[in-house]
Amino acid sequence: MNKSSKNDPPVSRRFFLKGVGTAGMACALATLSGCKDAGKPSGGEGWTPTQYNVPGTWPVQVRGRVPIDPNNPSIVRDDRKCILCGQCAEACERIQTVEGYYALPIKDDITCVNCGQCALWCPTGSISERDDIDKVQRVLADTNLHVIVQTAPATRIAIGEEFGMPAGSIVEGKMVAALKKLGFDRVFDTNFSADLTIMEEGTELVRRINNSGGEHHQKEGGHGHTPTALPQFTSCSPGWVKFCEYFYPDLLEHMSTCKSPQQMLGSVAKTYYAEKKGIDPRTIVSVAIMPCTAKKFEAARGEMNSAGAAAGQPELRDVDFVLTTRELGRMIKKNGIDLTTLQPEKYDSLMGESTGAGVIFAASGGVMEAAIRSGYYLLTHQNPPETLLELNAVRGLQGVKEAALEVPGVGELRVAVSHGLANARTLLDQIREDKQNGRPPRYHFIEFMACPGGCISGGGQPRTSVPPSDWVRQARIKSIYTIDAQIYKKRLSHENQEVQALYADFLGEPNGERAHQLLHTTYTDRSGQLTVKTKA
Amino acid sequence: MSKGVLVDLTKCFGCGACTVACKLWNEKKYDDVNKPTMGENAHLVDINWTVVSKHNVTDAAGKPAWRFIKEQCLHCVDPACASSCLVKALRRTPEGPVVYHPDLCVGCRYCMVACPFNIPKYEWEQSFPKVSKCQMCSTRIDNGEMPACVSVCPNQVMTFGERDDLLKEAHRHISANKQQYIDYVFGEKEVGGTAWMYISDQPFDKIGFKTTVPKESLPAFTWQILNKLPMILVGWTAILSGIYFFNKRRNAISESKQDSKGGPQA
Repeated sequence: MNKSSKNDPPVSRRFFLKGVGTAGMACALATLSGCKDAGKPSGGEGWTPTQYNVPGTWPVQVRGRVPIDPNNPSIVRDDRKCILCGQCAEACERIQTVEGYYALPIKDDITCVNCGQCALWCPTGSISERDDIDKVQRVLADTNLHVIVQTAPATRIAIGEEFGMPAGSIVEGKMVAALKKLGFDRVFDTNFSADLTIMEEGTELVRRINNSGGEHHQKEGGHGHTPTALPQFTSCSPGWVKFCEYFYPDLLEHMSTCKSPQQMLGSVAKTYYAEKKGIDPRTIVSVAIMPCTAKKFEAARGEMNSAGAAAGQPELRDVDFVLTTRELGRMIKKNGIDLTTLQPEKYDSLMGESTGAGVIFAASGGVMEAAIRSGYYLLTHQNPPETLLELNAVRGLQGVKEAALEVPGVGELRVAVSHGLANARTLLDQIREDKQNGRPPRYHFIEFMACPGGCISGGGQPRTSVPPSDWVRQARIKSIYTIDAQIYKKRLSHENQEVQALYADFLGEPNGERAHQLLHTTYTDRSGQLTVKTKA
Repeated sequence: MSKGVLVDLTKCFGCGACTVACKLWNEKKYDDVNKPTMGENAHLVDINWTVVSKHNVTDAAGKPAWRFIKEQCLHCVDPACASSCLVKALRRTPEGPVVYHPDLCVGCRYCMVACPFNIPKYEWEQSFPKVSKCQMCSTRIDNGEMPACVSVCPNQVMTFGERDDLLKEAHRHISANKQQYIDYVFGEKEVGGTAWMYISDQPFDKIGFKTTVPKESLPAFTWQILNKLPMILVGWTAILSGIYFFNKRRNAISESKQDSKGGPQA
């Protein structure tokens, strides 16, 4: 048996197998002992905001967020940025009284007035305007198209903030220069159509007052399409209009039938301007720069195709694209233009003349003030006294403002102004109650603006402070009234020569047949889209 | 006592805050293009532990309406996934959540086959995939907190509490609002009961619920067979051993008989 030699392996077969067996057993044991500890369950490595991390089922005051329809034309949300802080819901419910004012379950609509205040409040920018920059860049690149643009009153005192300038910087000329650099063929001013709005809305108000016949304000007017209900409501703020359509459809007869300045300029551009310049309206692309997200919704409303309908092409939109002030800021930056260094330029003629009455549309109370200036003229055929040009009672940030003024030959004209839709409810509930009890109207004319402070703090304005705060609003309002009092030469809408030329050459008279066709609109009762609830 | 969540589907307006809370708390990625968490195309997938799906329905007035359904693991009282798991990677905690432990998982995906509601998903795009599903924020519940999705809901669509209390509340609420609700609590009896329960004004099968599942616990079915296994094992052992010993003895006897005859014959 002694066969051992130099070739024998140093490890015997027995020893090797024993070793492998032992190691196997040890590993199996180790694995099994590992199973005793199940390890960490998956998930739970992240965080939620502090208000949600409390033991028990305590109520949380500010929670969740607003619902946003993915097809909302005005606002979109990027879930990746949402931190569930609850600010959007706070703004929607407490400032605008929309969320929480309809009963659940919902119908087939996510109730939204498109005001975009949630986008101003959102601390992470999760909610923003629907970005239409690419669409506008595409039409600008097409040389066959004639691209015109209009800029709202409130954009000229805010867009500078996007370029690091102090809140309320007046950059009207620089903005016009930037728009021309971007390649827009004509730059028009929404101030022009604000003056036009005053002519129409003022005339409508005078007719309502004349036709109301004292207490019988409900009776049908003599003029075919002139409503008679008093007070008359302004209709410039599309967020407010949709709010009224949702929650107060019974008061829609009070809504001025006038389109907003944006839509007036849109329909005039594709008729009057096209005719004057000999341009096929089909090749005109109408862009609007607005402080507002609801304007995107307004431009897309089915009935906003007057110019096309008049030309037998109902698919033609009066306004094709709406960009917010923030989008214009981004667009200018994307094109490598430094707004701050541009030489100021002027608006183009035909629809570029402004008055102070047009520019103050941007501030809460401004439409009222402008309307009073020209309404006074329409009623008395003479210009208002100096005192009426600084109507401080309707200026400022108080939620509901009232004024009463004596108009010779007419008597007392009582007006009210509200901004922020929660304040609108105060007035609307009062009017509803008065009507139900057969009381005469307290006011002749009421200005409603959806956003607190008016358009200067609209949902599409630069996010200079988040959430939006009054110091920014005050700075912008101050600039607006500075433009009115010190920069523009005229302060009365009816003195706008281009507006007068438009009437003389094309429209005829205010509230006339053609004006009605192009500048007036109808409203939709939206109360069927939700179950209205009075208290949140 | 085990916890549960009662979901009142009539109160949901589809803000999707719950889906964001889930992503925040569980650090799940977003993929709005391929794996949306909200809308008609929202489905539970590996990165979506909860979704809010949109359904077009007809409301009581006969008008078209939208209903939003908060979907996630229903956390069965007697979970089939856990009973099918070879390595106990899925376990139901006494508080109610059915929790997945990735360290134990061997990736066999039996749970995915076993689940009657098709909840567990697999991370198909990962090199070392795991199973993925809602944990009902078990670690938050351990701290006495509500699941993340429940805590953020602006409309209190979801109520967190003891399952038994919620069931009573659900029936009380339905009988108090008979004209509005379907008289049924989904999750009360489905597969033996689930921690998440739903009440609705729409028939459940019209809004994407799997109403065909049995009312008995699924592990109870298999248990009818499996509980006999020890008996079968012991019985077979006994029978086979008996046969073995019988044959052995018979052989031994026949050998000894031949020995006594004087050895084998040539």
